[in-house]
Amino acid sequence: MKGFTLWFTGLPCSGKSTLARRVEEILLERGMNVEVLDGDEVREHLSKGLGYSKEDRDTNIRRIGYVAKLLSRNSVVAIGAAISPYKAIRNEVRNWHERFVEVYVKAPVDELKERDIKGMYKKALAGEIKHFTGVDDPYEPPENPEVIVETDKESVEESVNKIVRTLELMNYIPGAGAGSDYSEEEEEEIKARLKDLGYI
Amino acid sequence: MAIKLFGRKRKKACVVGLDGVPCTLLQSMMEKGVMPRTAAIVSRGTLRPMTVTLPEISSVSWSTFMTGKNPGEHGIFGFTDLKEGSYDLRFPSFRDLKTETIWDLVGKTGGRSVVINQPSTYPAREIPGVLISGFVSIDIDKAVYPKSYLAMLARNGYTIDVDTAKCRDNPQRLFSDLGALLEARKRVLDEIWGTEPWSFMEVVLTGTDRLHHFAWDAYEDESHPHHSDFFDYYRKVDAFIGHVFDKFQREDSAENFFLLSDHGFCGAKKEVYINTILQTHGYLTFDGAGPASLSAITGDSKAFALDPARVYIHQRGRYTKGRVEEKDVAGLKRELTQLFESVTDGSGQKIVRRVFDAAEVYTGPHAAEGPELLLIPHNGYDMKGKVGAPFVVGERRLQGMHTWDNAFFFALREDLVDPSKDLEIVEVPWMILRSIDVGP
Repeated sequence: MKGFTLWFTGLPCSGKSTLARRVEEILLERGMNVEVLDGDEVREHLSKGLGYSKEDRDTNIRRIGYVAKLLSRNSVVAIGAAISPYKAIRNEVRNWHERFVEVYVKAPVDELKERDIKGMYKKALAGEIKHFTGVDDPYEPPENPEVIVETDKESVEESVNKIVRTLELMNYIPGAGAGSDYSEEEEEEIKARLKDLGYI
Repeated sequence: MAIKLFGRKRKKACVVGLDGVPCTLLQSMMEKGVMPRTAAIVSRGTLRPMTVTLPEISSVSWSTFMTGKNPGEHGIFGFTDLKEGSYDLRFPSFRDLKTETIWDLVGKTGGRSVVINQPSTYPAREIPGVLISGFVSIDIDKAVYPKSYLAMLARNGYTIDVDTAKCRDNPQRLFSDLGALLEARKRVLDEIWGTEPWSFMEVVLTGTDRLHHFAWDAYEDESHPHHSDFFDYYRKVDAFIGHVFDKFQREDSAENFFLLSDHGFCGAKKEVYINTILQTHGYLTFDGAGPASLSAITGDSKAFALDPARVYIHQRGRYTKGRVEEKDVAGLKRELTQLFESVTDGSGQKIVRRVFDAAEVYTGPHAAEGPELLLIPHNGYDMKGKVGAPFVVGERRLQGMHTWDNAFFFALREDLVDPSKDLEIVEVPWMILRSIDVGP
């Protein structure tokens, strides 16, 4: 199958990395080549030294987008999972691609402040971290993402299913049946039921 | 209660599916006074015979109904398919459906659907509304969206299907279980109806299909010990239809009430083994003496069949051992068409009524994933893709078999159905959606 870029965008701690990794697992099970470009990891390597000014954020996203483009045109599913707060840069990255799927990982900022898995919101609210998206830096939500998942309302599984189903309907990934939805025992049970009704 | 949207009452549609009910049987039941409620409803609208998908089996037909697309678009060609790069069977699931469903379309307009016992929707996924999957669900925990309904189903003694292994050769058990299953579906429908807002309600009765497979003789033979049981079941189906219609009428004009089946049925006389036909005429060979499966197919083979009556050309590039070149496919299809049109059951009776080239019936991005030829048998010849049958014709295993034509569609509103045209199942969902102002 052809490659494409799956781009997760959303506020800090909204669930981008969690969903990206779970979708990665599923796509690997279906025989696809996948690479996750996680925002936190990229900042340790590809974008080491970049800060959080608008200019640096834009550069960071352009770097991730460029690598994603190279991967996707070589039959890899490139999964970007970075806040990517500015619409214009996200759209610029989209325009580099033939196949681009944007997933808006949506959750109210108050809920995220409660979650605060990494303790970053607390530090940002205390003024210890500057330019923190959702506190003192803006986040511009996408206007027409291919998928919207609401992580304050859905379980991880529900959000992942929504994303995977969209990719199946777009024919970007094979259906689960190409491998199998079913264990061996389940297949035997299905076979038996089909035989009872003369369908096999 | 109708859903109000900014003060405008949302239109509602209610669909009752009767799996495997032939139009002529339904008409006969109404004429005989077995189905008076249904007869009264039908007299107010339009009942039409209908052709369905090819092949004429529930997984394909219901997939066409739930999407409004042909198999070349939705990607479901049977209960079985081959694993990619292999000759092993796989079992397409709801996740293999390649297009949106009509319930997704209703959801896009802000409406919600309640779908009860829809075949070919397993494992259940999120829809805007409620989905209870039907056949071939094997684990009810994975057959329901949202899962919060599992407790309600358990409380109402709901099961997906009768135990086909136990009912198949035990008519007493069959009729008893069919009745209990129908009652459970009614209880679940009643409970959801009152609690879940909806603009599209669909419930499918699959007991009719089981009844026909296992007890068709009881319908045709007046002296059969279970002849009256067969008709009693249809009385219960009639009561169910009447019950649903009454509920709909109490809260709505009920003008958007629909009935349909996904294929017809007739009595089975014999089974016919397509792969044996192909072997006998040199189109299919296997390694070893007695093939257990299609995996033993040789590279010299030019064609093979999958259930029920799908013929695939063994093409190079599509199958690992396939050697038929693309340039030879058209000629081979012609040869095979002539073969199937001429084959008889040994007593001079032709077996195949019609051969369809897939190009006549499949369009869309997935058309090339399906078979090249589809066979329609004469009534009574139940065609199978079994591998290794020693003879072309064998004894029937089941009493009834599916038919491609003689399904039916009923609409209370006569303006929805064009009486001058033959009706195909792929048109039906769009008529239903049009009735509630939902477009493609």
